[in-house]
Amino acid sequence: MRRGLLLVGHGSHLNPNSSAPVYQHAERIRQCRIFDSVRTAFWKEEPALARAFDGWDAEDVTVVPVFIATGYFTEQVIPRELGLCGRVSRVDGRLVRYTGAIGAHPRLADVIVERAREAGAGPETAVAVLGHGTPRNPNSERNIYLQAERVARRGLFRDVVTVFLDQEPNMRDVLRFTNAATVVIVPLFVADGWHVDETIPEELELEGPDTVRDGRRIRYAGAVGTHPSLAEVILHAAEEAAGWA
Amino acid sequence: MGVEVLDAIAARRPFRLGELRAEPEGDRGWVVRGPDNGEPREVPAEASAIRALVRFDARGRYRPLSGARGLPGGWFVRCRDAAELEWVLETVYPLALVHLRQHAEGSLRVVGLDAALARQSGRYAVAAELSPEGRRRATSVVCSACVRVPLWAGARPAEPGAIPCPEPCSVLISFCREAALWERERPAPATDDPAAPFADFEVEGNPLRNAYLRAQTVEARGRA
Repeated sequence: MRRGLLLVGHGSHLNPNSSAPVYQHAERIRQCRIFDSVRTAFWKEEPALARAFDGWDAEDVTVVPVFIATGYFTEQVIPRELGLCGRVSRVDGRLVRYTGAIGAHPRLADVIVERAREAGAGPETAVAVLGHGTPRNPNSERNIYLQAERVARRGLFRDVVTVFLDQEPNMRDVLRFTNAATVVIVPLFVADGWHVDETIPEELELEGPDTVRDGRRIRYAGAVGTHPSLAEVILHAAEEAAGWA
Repeated sequence: MGVEVLDAIAARRPFRLGELRAEPEGDRGWVVRGPDNGEPREVPAEASAIRALVRFDARGRYRPLSGARGLPGGWFVRCRDAAELEWVLETVYPLALVHLRQHAEGSLRVVGLDAALARQSGRYAVAAELSPEGRRRATSVVCSACVRVPLWAGARPAEPGAIPCPEPCSVLISFCREAALWERERPAPATDDPAAPFADFEVEGNPLRNAYLRAQTVEARGRA
């Protein structure tokens, strides 16, 4: 049986970087040769979600949404556009396994830890897991808290706090949530783009990856979604789905 | 439509696809060329290198729509064989060869604008309120900026290398959302700004927005 993997991204009409991590992870996974074919599809780029299976000879396809939040896109838009009816569906005669948002996967905490360590986090450091969040959708915060708790349970850092771009607790107050001399902010976003590269550094008045403020240090890590090891998390999610009947 | 492209690949004959030209080289290889524009430079046959090139127009504007006219020129890619050729074409025009094959076989699933708008939700639900005249106008404006031929709008391609489009794209859906709002607010067309983002239809200088608003104004005068 020919096995396929479909990575689904949001994509953007305005930001060319939005889809880059999805392409990069797809290429890494292609090189592993675990699947007979690996495709990508996007809500706002091409191939469109609604045409993702066109002409595909894979008979057993695992769909992994490269989304941080579990919510509107992963529970409504993607299933609707792909014609799915649950975690296992039949679409045009092929078996389709649908994992949840990669943002909920337990192994994503490993990537957050790697990003934090790359930015200098250690036992005396606080780590701030930064999510988008929005007051319009209470679900959008769920995976951010979930992953921050997983990181905290490992006991690797002095403190692990959760902050948001667009809701409380807000990232502007990050230094109030810990007494650590150094705080490493890890953006739990899929892509380096408008928020990670522009709005967050501007709003926090960061001077680069390392900012000293009131005698304390703020280090700014890269986006979690662009880390090469996210491909391993995607593969774990796909392996788990392979056991579903 | 499209049979000539598929036949040309099989028979190793030169062909066009959208704004690309391809020609056989040596025993098995191919060369894919962008539009003529100055001294061509070679680009490696790697998806990331090709995307870095074709996702921006000559002004450096992001091209979110692969078929948007104005593919940057002055480059070529050497492909080892037909498989690499197909990968390069897929990178520039996703699913184009799949849709050409399905269209030639008569198996291409076609979905129209009414059905595509009816299934939208969230911030795009309002797009379904666009009037029939607005839908026709939006299709005319957006699809004329694209090399894909909208089968779903009844178009029948005449140009060699035409790519069949089986379903309205996300750019057109997004445009219909804005057009539905313009039917309420009736903004006036502004001066085109060639630097305006291709698919940011809230920007007053956006050329597609203004083409639509100008056509809307002309049609309204015609009815008056």
